Amino acid sequence: MSGFRKSMVAMLAPSLGLIAIFILVPIALTVWLAFTKWSAQTPFSTATFIGLDNFREIFGAGSVGRDFKGALVNTALYSLMSIALILPLSVLFGMLIHQADLKGANVLRTILFATYMVPMIAVALVFSKLYSPSEGPINQILGWVGIGPLPWLSSPDTALVSVVLLNVWQQVGYFTILIIAGLTQIPQSIYEAAKMDGARGPALFGFITLPLLKRTLLFSAVIALINAVQVFEPVALVTQGGPVGSTNVMTYHIRRVGIERAQGGLGSAMSVTLLLALVVTVTAVFALARREDRR
Amino acid sequence: MSLPVTTPAPGAASPAWRGILYLLMIAVAVVSAFPLVWMVLSSLKTPAEAMQTPPVWIPGTPSLDAYQKVSELISVGRSFANSALIAGITTAGILVTSLMAGYAFAKYRFRYREVLFAITIATMFLPPIVTLIPLYRLVGSIGLNASLAGVIVPNLANAFGIFLMRQFIAGVPDELVEAARLDGASEFRIVFTIVAPAVAPALAALALFAFVYHWNSYLWPLTVLQGNSSQYPIVISLSRLLSYNRSAVNTGLVMAGATLAVLPPLILFVFLQRFFVRTITASGMTGQ
Repeated sequence: MSGFRKSMVAMLAPSLGLIAIFILVPIALTVWLAFTKWSAQTPFSTATFIGLDNFREIFGAGSVGRDFKGALVNTALYSLMSIALILPLSVLFGMLIHQADLKGANVLRTILFATYMVPMIAVALVFSKLYSPSEGPINQILGWVGIGPLPWLSSPDTALVSVVLLNVWQQVGYFTILIIAGLTQIPQSIYEAAKMDGARGPALFGFITLPLLKRTLLFSAVIALINAVQVFEPVALVTQGGPVGSTNVMTYHIRRVGIERAQGGLGSAMSVTLLLALVVTVTAVFALARREDRR
Repeated sequence: MSLPVTTPAPGAASPAWRGILYLLMIAVAVVSAFPLVWMVLSSLKTPAEAMQTPPVWIPGTPSLDAYQKVSELISVGRSFANSALIAGITTAGILVTSLMAGYAFAKYRFRYREVLFAITIATMFLPPIVTLIPLYRLVGSIGLNASLAGVIVPNLANAFGIFLMRQFIAGVPDELVEAARLDGASEFRIVFTIVAPAVAPALAALALFAFVYHWNSYLWPLTVLQGNSSQYPIVISLSRLLSYNRSAVNTGLVMAGATLAVLPPLILFVFLQRFFVRTITASGMTGQ
């Protein structure tokens, strides 16, 4: 082996080796295990091939299927609501910080971004208190303007939205930073030229800012989706998937089935389904965006 | 009336409009900071104050009793040491492996480079739950379960770090590397003594990102430690306060625990945030 090849392998081996062993091999194992009956408490060699049985079960009419499909729907709703709130808010905050030319904008950026550094477990604990129907300050504040009291995490109608709101609170600062990064890429001269032509606020936003932010927004939407799928701590710690399964989301459900109940094959089939759903969604979003571009 | 010296940014306009924008900005800051302020205030309340309806916001007689009690309940010192080991060693590992791989991807030309890089980047978008079940078994089968090593080893390399380092090392002039080679420096020497200082701000940002991420990480430690509470990082130890979370009497206790867990990442953030913001902006990771 030449010196160059040796040093190339030496540079890449540690990271790519770790990624291969701890990410790529487990992906392959997940796919294989999805077609087997296997207890997660026993070695991989005990897995027995059962074809599509796991998939039939998780999409079937039994209780396993009902719970899984519920978790899939909850995760889809949770992701949609998160993205629908995070994207517009981060654009608003990003413009407020970057374009409005206000004193103290950096302070706001710091405060917004700081929430992203807070461990989710602490966010979950704090919000479980903020949301408390009787002793919590949120219902107290809403009471001042004549709203409520709302049940928040204790009702199946509002629990999932409540978890979405705490997620948005934690993450919106990070996405604001991404949007600011996108805004800095838009040349000031484009705005100047448009203003010469008489364009004003809303037109500048609709015809310049938004179209030129499109790639940033797409990237943000994908990251927000991937993050939303990972919601775990508030559910595991505060709601345990309830009330009546209304916050039973994928990460929580798959871990409960695959690790806690040790139904490794069944859990892997759920993981594979989640992965496929994500790949299809992301591909569709990008395909749509490209078709728009061509128009 | 004087003319504005600088060109106003789009959106900047009349004083009334600016007033509205300032109000909006303050409102956003207040909503954003409120949960953390409330957390700290509540950690200083007495149990009697915590139970009052409507809630008391400012504790009448601030006391640190809750901190005392929480440190007895969850062995805070031990948990902090575990968290520091997990986050510290993982971060160091990520910095080293990312620098090396980033250097290879940025400065070496070899077959399958783009394919390898694409596969690496794809793993960045993988939600950890997808591989959790076999990974749990895999780590167990090499004897690392229920130990800090099991938490740390699978995370010593990550795609985000490699991506970030490649982006920034690509901007380091080739002449700098060539000159060091002519002086007889080994490739490792070049990476750690020439390239690393040249991308120091990006390394600082990566260090902040990795440290905070792994300090806060919950799902994997919870799974791999299998209830071995002597190895728990602070975020998992906090979940043991769950039984105290049911009743409002213990609000102060739970908030004191949360405050303790929040402090290290926030303090680190205050010192390193400027690197982080600049790095995200310069990395081109937002799709430009």
